[in-house]
Amino acid sequence: MTRLAETLLDALALGSVYALVALGFTVVFKASGVMNFAHGSVLLLGGWVVAATHGAVGFPLAVLLGAAAAAAASGLLHLLTARGLRGAGAHAATILTIGADLALLTALGRAIGADYLATGDPWGSAVVRIGGVHVVEARLAGIAVSVALIGAVFAAFRWTRWGLAMRAASADEEAAALMGVRLGRMRLTAWCTAGALAAVAAVFLAAFPSPGLDRSTGQLALAAFPAAVLGGLDSAAGALVGSLAIGLAGALAAGYQDELGAFGEGLPGIAPYLVMVAVLLVRPSGLLGSKEAVRV
Amino acid sequence: MTAPTAARLEVRGVTVRFAGLTALDDVSFTVEPGTVHALIGPNGAGKSTCFNVLSGVYRAAAGSVVYGGRELTGMAPHAVAGLGIARTFQNIVLTAGTVADNLMLGRHRLTRAGFAATALRLPGAVREQRRHRARAAEIAEFLGLESHFDQPVGALPYGVRKRVELARALCAEPGLLLLDEPVAGMNPAERLDMADTVAAIRAALGISILLVEHDMGMVMRLADTVTVLDFGRRIADGTPETVRQDPAVLHAYLGQQEAA
Amino acid sequence: MSELLTGRRAAAGAGVLVLLALPFYADGFWLQSGLFAMAAVLGAIGLGLLTGTAGQLSLGHSFFLAVGAYGYVWFSGGASGNGPSRLTGLGLPPLLALVLAIALAGAAGAVFSPIAGRLRGMYLGVATLALVFLGQHVMLNSRSVTGGFNGRPVEPMSLFGFSFSDASPRGLAVLGVPFGGLERLWYLGLALVAIGLFTARNLQQGRPGRALAALRDSGTAAAVMGVPVARYRCAAFTVSCLYAGAGGALTALAFTRVVPDHFGLALSIDFLAMIVIGGLGSVGGAAAAAVLVSLLPQVLTVYAERLPLIAPAGSDAFGATPGEAARCLYGAAVVLILTLAPDGLAGLARRYRPRPAPAAASTAPAPVPVSRTATRPSPGKEPTP
Repeated sequence: MTRLAETLLDALALGSVYALVALGFTVVFKASGVMNFAHGSVLLLGGWVVAATHGAVGFPLAVLLGAAAAAAASGLLHLLTARGLRGAGAHAATILTIGADLALLTALGRAIGADYLATGDPWGSAVVRIGGVHVVEARLAGIAVSVALIGAVFAAFRWTRWGLAMRAASADEEAAALMGVRLGRMRLTAWCTAGALAAVAAVFLAAFPSPGLDRSTGQLALAAFPAAVLGGLDSAAGALVGSLAIGLAGALAAGYQDELGAFGEGLPGIAPYLVMVAVLLVRPSGLLGSKEAVRV
Repeated sequence: MTAPTAARLEVRGVTVRFAGLTALDDVSFTVEPGTVHALIGPNGAGKSTCFNVLSGVYRAAAGSVVYGGRELTGMAPHAVAGLGIARTFQNIVLTAGTVADNLMLGRHRLTRAGFAATALRLPGAVREQRRHRARAAEIAEFLGLESHFDQPVGALPYGVRKRVELARALCAEPGLLLLDEPVAGMNPAERLDMADTVAAIRAALGISILLVEHDMGMVMRLADTVTVLDFGRRIADGTPETVRQDPAVLHAYLGQQEAA
Repeated sequence: MSELLTGRRAAAGAGVLVLLALPFYADGFWLQSGLFAMAAVLGAIGLGLLTGTAGQLSLGHSFFLAVGAYGYVWFSGGASGNGPSRLTGLGLPPLLALVLAIALAGAAGAVFSPIAGRLRGMYLGVATLALVFLGQHVMLNSRSVTGGFNGRPVEPMSLFGFSFSDASPRGLAVLGVPFGGLERLWYLGLALVAIGLFTARNLQQGRPGRALAALRDSGTAAAVMGVPVARYRCAAFTVSCLYAGAGGALTALAFTRVVPDHFGLALSIDFLAMIVIGGLGSVGGAAAAAVLVSLLPQVLTVYAERLPLIAPAGSDAFGATPGEAARCLYGAAVVLILTLAPDGLAGLARRYRPRPAPAAASTAPAPVPVSRTATRPSPGKEPTP
């Protein structure tokens, strides 16, 4: 029972951090129709800036710097893809982000080296006991911060001019542009928001019980791909549902992998993908995604 | 390679709904073999929706479409094409490549070469390609495209690309040709040219042509029969002369002009 | 026009001669690098057909190379060992194993292709990403087939008793140059690449290629022209996997040992980089870029000491290792090409190639009467008004 409770709490913690990343994919896809494969290295960049600066400026300011750096990198990617979209084929912008990822990830991997970097987060390895269940403090903080940030993004969708512009543009881009929506600025904001969220996610992905930030932290972001996709790429609510499902699948596989025999080894890593493929077989546009309309 | 001859197209009570909106409401008309039939109506009347049902792109919620004795509703688009129904698009939809490539795509349904035969250049596939390319060149010449035959379509002017689309549809040797606004966006000289071409196609090939068009001059000149749609309903059907004097038609068009 | 053609033919002929002569001059390092490049060419041709021509994004290409590689190893390898290190295998003749391995990769593609037929755009891209991770999991865990993390040795190719290895005939020399495994494999690789290029070009310029390109540009338009969309999407996937299987089997032969690590996401991404750098939709461009991308790290390794900012592999000197530098370079190349020259190498080649003179009236094809014109009135030569 305790084990199940701990597993479920892990699922929630994992899911909420994935949600920060998956929401980034969704926001960018809604705004620009691009699957941002460089999101993982943007996340790593944010984490690396936090790790590199926290000693000098303290943790809170370091997180702000990290978020700013990731937002800037993400914004730059938008400017590049907006150019790349012209003329080239259907997947040009997406492939461009893959190229950018390749370059950025290699450069960051070089900078980080083979070490685990500390991000200087205040929770350390503290554990609290809630009704007999051991909970890592950093995970609780992760849930709280994720819920707050995601709430803020959803509020922005609903009540800010940016959110309105985004909804208008995804309904009918031409009409939105004619009505005075500044598409370029709306998109840039979306990409920057995604970058900043990723930097925060990096902090929690590197926090205890993980040994710290290393060059593979960016690859953890890959687990958020299936989360965004299975929820439906153009649905923010879908990203949340998908993240929780992926968190649950990952935590269950991690909690019970020993009982699964030889094939259980490494299963937590691929559980998100198994869940995603299963969902896509039944619903090709994800759980909450909108079906692509035929236009002639 | 049996050439389909023009057959009768019967549209009976076709209804199409999108998310609560009725785009076509119980529409019926008949295209007699070898005639030019125009489908007209104000914007949003359901003309393009009707084309999409006829070519299998949309599913009708109710009603039937019968071509040459075959029920089309429920057929996949490629199966509809297989019956000898070809179409053009309102916004030009061509494939990157040369004019010849696009015309050869039109002959897809008439050719057989598969992946293995093509990859290995088996004699049958080579012969087939050569024979059909020659026919595609003939059709290009018929439409005045011979000088563009080996040029990439991307570099061609708008009016020429519209003709390429028409040539591609003709390359399928259709019995029924669906033309979706063939002169939209053209200048007056190009419009005249296109009208003459449509007349020439009909005279030379004897196929049925269903035409969606806003250019009333062209419709009145070419069409044997006109069906008028408004808000998804058929409001008139008959010869150009009778339709022109129909009060419902006048109301639909003039009403719209007053609003504009 | 004909001068241009003979010029190009002469250049191509010279290129072929150089390729044929290379084993007499190049050392083992370059021959092995060249063989990897050939395997990459085969893989890139396949992905080029799928993503470039048919417009289906795949990040799972490395998985199908792995199927080809392990397929060859398992079909040709014998059973050996016992306990946890026990390996199974069919011990078939290598040539049969090669054919079966390619077929197996195609079959794997065919099994996955219904998903490819259903999913659109990005959804397909991410679903194929799943294949890479699932593949890694299977490769690491089904030890009796794959040998697990440490991989499995590869049975050398042999044809009618002639082995493409250092053995049988041992000490073979041609024109005084010792012909070991790499020299012999070189010609097998060239043959595979030649077949790959020949078939891919034919496909692209033939009926299936036109249908796939139409699908890429507009699924609806393709369907309306009579192309069965789902079937062609599946076929594109399967055909692309056949090439991947050939590339994988050649990789295995060149490596002499297959390990799961080689077939990760990075390899898939390398292939995407190749087809973008080559120019989407161009077979020749993809092949050229495959050679560039796969040889770049080797070139940088050899010249590391003379190049700024690049440290020799394994040294602590400041600078990137050749592998890292190469990845950075072609990552940047992808970004630059997509923003500045979307047609890639193929586009650049076209731009700087002398243009054929505009076709004179005499070269225009005369209307050829075809059988079907007898059954219906021909449009004939009506003057267009």
